[in-house]
Amino acid sequence: MLQYILKRILLAIPVVILISFIVFYIIQLPPGDYVSTYAAQMAAAGDNMTAEEMDEMRENLGLSGPVYEQYAVWIKKIVLHGDFGFSFSYNKPVLDVVKQYMGLTLVVSFVTLFFHYIVAIPIGIYTAVKQYSAGDYFFSGISFIGMATPNFLLAIILMFFSYKWFGDPLLGLFSPEYVNAPWSMDKVVDLAKHLIIPVIVIGIAHTADLIRVMRGQMLDELNKPNIVTARAKGVSNLKILFKYPTRAALNPIVSTLGWSLSSIFTGSTITAIVLNLPIQGPVMYNALLGQDMYLAGSWLLFMALLTVLGTLISDILLAWLDPKIRTEFRGN
Amino acid sequence: MKKSGMLWALLLTIAVIFAGCDGNNAAAPDTAKSNDPQKAEDSKPVASGVSTGSKEAPALAKLVEEGKLPKLEERMPAAGDIMVEQVAEEIGQYGGDWTMAWTGPGDKWAVGQPTEEALFRFNADGTGVEPNVAKSYEVNKDSTVFTIHLREGMKWSDGVPFTADDVLFYWEHMLTKETFGKKIYDAYYSVDPVTGERALAEVKKVDDYTFTVTHKYPSVQFLERVAIDNKWFFAPAHFHKTILPEFVGEAKTAEIAKEWGYEDAKAFLVDTGYYYWLHPQIPTLRAWVASTDPNSDQFVMQRNPYYWKTDPEGHQLPYLDRIVVTKVQDPSQILLGTLAGNYNLATYGAKDFTILKENEKKGDFRVLPWTQPSWTSAGIQLNQTTKDPKLRQLFQDTRFREALSIGVDRNEITEIVTNGIADPVQASVPEGVFGYQEGWAQKWAEFDPDRANQLLDEIGLKRGKDGFRTFPDGSDLTLTDIESSTNADSFLELLKKYFEDMGLKFNVKVVESGAFTDMKYANEVPINTEAISVANVAFRPDTLVPLRVITPWFGHYGLYTESGGKEGVKPEGDVAKILDLWSQLKASSSKDEINRIANEIYKVHMDNQWVIGYAGPTPTLVVASNQMRNVPEKAVWADEFRSLGHGHPAQFYLKQ
Repeated sequence: MLQYILKRILLAIPVVILISFIVFYIIQLPPGDYVSTYAAQMAAAGDNMTAEEMDEMRENLGLSGPVYEQYAVWIKKIVLHGDFGFSFSYNKPVLDVVKQYMGLTLVVSFVTLFFHYIVAIPIGIYTAVKQYSAGDYFFSGISFIGMATPNFLLAIILMFFSYKWFGDPLLGLFSPEYVNAPWSMDKVVDLAKHLIIPVIVIGIAHTADLIRVMRGQMLDELNKPNIVTARAKGVSNLKILFKYPTRAALNPIVSTLGWSLSSIFTGSTITAIVLNLPIQGPVMYNALLGQDMYLAGSWLLFMALLTVLGTLISDILLAWLDPKIRTEFRGN
Repeated sequence: MKKSGMLWALLLTIAVIFAGCDGNNAAAPDTAKSNDPQKAEDSKPVASGVSTGSKEAPALAKLVEEGKLPKLEERMPAAGDIMVEQVAEEIGQYGGDWTMAWTGPGDKWAVGQPTEEALFRFNADGTGVEPNVAKSYEVNKDSTVFTIHLREGMKWSDGVPFTADDVLFYWEHMLTKETFGKKIYDAYYSVDPVTGERALAEVKKVDDYTFTVTHKYPSVQFLERVAIDNKWFFAPAHFHKTILPEFVGEAKTAEIAKEWGYEDAKAFLVDTGYYYWLHPQIPTLRAWVASTDPNSDQFVMQRNPYYWKTDPEGHQLPYLDRIVVTKVQDPSQILLGTLAGNYNLATYGAKDFTILKENEKKGDFRVLPWTQPSWTSAGIQLNQTTKDPKLRQLFQDTRFREALSIGVDRNEITEIVTNGIADPVQASVPEGVFGYQEGWAQKWAEFDPDRANQLLDEIGLKRGKDGFRTFPDGSDLTLTDIESSTNADSFLELLKKYFEDMGLKFNVKVVESGAFTDMKYANEVPINTEAISVANVAFRPDTLVPLRVITPWFGHYGLYTESGGKEGVKPEGDVAKILDLWSQLKASSSKDEINRIANEIYKVHMDNQWVIGYAGPTPTLVVASNQMRNVPEKAVWADEFRSLGHGHPAQFYLKQ
């Protein structure tokens, strides 16, 4: 097992290096660079730059060399100094920008994650056990709607009702008076209030997805011989349900848990923009848009790392959960 | 309503308002029409009642009591040198926040312009300048020596005296050394009327509160040009001495830059030398000074206890305690926030007019339309130097431009694109703005498709089998409009229809704004919808005289001038005439002559119509909550006048 994990980690290194280069290259592909974006932004405010000033700025920011040269400088700094470069638009080191948004991103992600497991798993089990009942149709209907509705649209609809009924669209994660305030009970309550819409909106698509997966798996498992045997032996229904089919049905959920690792750290993007959430998604989106390449590059690299790591975690979790897979490892 | 009342209350942190939600609403209607002096008289006792006769904000008075702040008289300039700011409606009350939104520190001018304190600022109607940071000035007869007086006893926001040394320091150690990434501004050069040679001005200190600017040749418009080019002709010497490489050495500056979080010293010096108002560490002369990191989700500017202006009754300004700026991901959230009452003073384009008006009552705000000196709200510029030689020839043909102008029904454009707000007129200087010409608005404005087609036939653009016209030699003719946003979509859709009716292939290509800038510099933008908006060409020639690569219509003519003839396209004909007029203007020695020449420049534009407009200008909408008073109802919105800053925000106040 340990050997297997070590092997996987070693294999991940070239993958991450390759991804980091591709990422860096792709960021450079579109026409224009940070300086031209910056010049456009300044021009919109009546603050025009000359071509000469732009060239000078490129020189200062180290954007005038070829791609591979910029890449080499960037990677060298990461490996030698743990320095991920500098975000032009924030005028801050990349790590500081990431740190600034990490706390709230994790809060939103974990609350959302918690929400969708708490809601989806019981409903999935219920709809499978009571297949074709009124409740099944109701939840299945809801989950199809949830899967088919774009998140941001749902966000807009909820914001509209919030504005119509409460006079406040509940943008952001805090009311204005709490944004810079130190943490207090009131601030937590305020945060909780503002979290309702984002959590429902971001969580709903996953929840719907998960309900379907859970239901399908359960239906497969419910008629397996081991269940029939258990039932014949007179084991209580509830005990059977949780001991055998539920445990087996959790397999695909656990195997995808690792994949959500990168989305936990970035949070959602479009929904976050619509709801004005101060989390990583929009930061990354704007970095890509504004060609703030070290910030964008670091983020994409980070996400690649998390995806690789997430897959590994999933494998380990599966091995722990499913004896059949565990045996395969041993066979290795 | 109850909810927003709560928000307000916490926001203002003034207990009085807790009970006053209904009171606010009741008060709103009768203050709306309180322009008469009678009303202002009435409100006096109220104001002094709240501030208990004190001439300073309660929070500051408390600090003085505690001994943490010098007395008001010691903080303000000498009695005769205090600047008295006229109030727009009535004497205000202290307290409250100006809540607004921005998209982050990139949006620096959103707080930069309204809080700006220039040495000289434009007067209310924008015809000239008046002293602001400066107390007064004298000019000699031939406009070469400007003696500028400062206010005795005036202080920076950290309490350090502001003197002529701060001006001299800025001039000697920052501007002429180009430490903050800007070249020495044009305003400081005078031009020899004979040879056209440029000479840099000399700046000398006379005493602590007086300095002179001496030009070699007459520079009649020096003060106006400074008010635009270099609004702040001063910097806190005591602060910059601690960071400039000249004083602390390159290594130390680089180290300080690192400490502040900057990658390189250059970016650090640009940010601290030019965009200084975003940094809490840097003292300013503004009514509010930064107090939090601009990168956080909420940027707060606090009142400057050393602010040097009072209202006519001697209360120290500003009235408002803070400016609280919330960061939003998308500009549309600013609109949403205004409707919900989260932002009490914001500005919008005319496209939001309907939604704002619909919610005026519910949102408890008022919409104040400020006019813009803009030529058009829906128009196109034809790049006179566009790359394709055949297209260039076509764009330079007056008949072609006339055809494009009269082949479009302006009535439909104004109805659909501007909700009928704009007039169906040609791109021209609007009435009341300098450069207005009789009959310009009506030039080529009548919809006449027959004549348009006739003109195109005359040029030799023959219709092919598919109904589209080709060049006389039979090659494909496609007009391509390059846009950096989708804002003009509805207009361009209509335009495409009309152009295709005339047999002209018309494509719109939307590119990312950075790429657009690159294309502009590479002369790859044949057509663009940018609008010309300028208060007076003599003050700011950028968009009408090809001096640099900025405005689409003159394309690489600008590069030619900028590079001194090394690159770009050599201006000919009427464009050369404009440049000629401009050099005459710069060297002229009287205001009348300058006005005459500036008017000539406008006339050349009227003759050529390189910018074709299909709808008149629309106003900028200033949206103020009904509690926010003293916001001028009518004013000119122009970058030159610093947009909202033209309304003098220091005297805005929240009625409680």
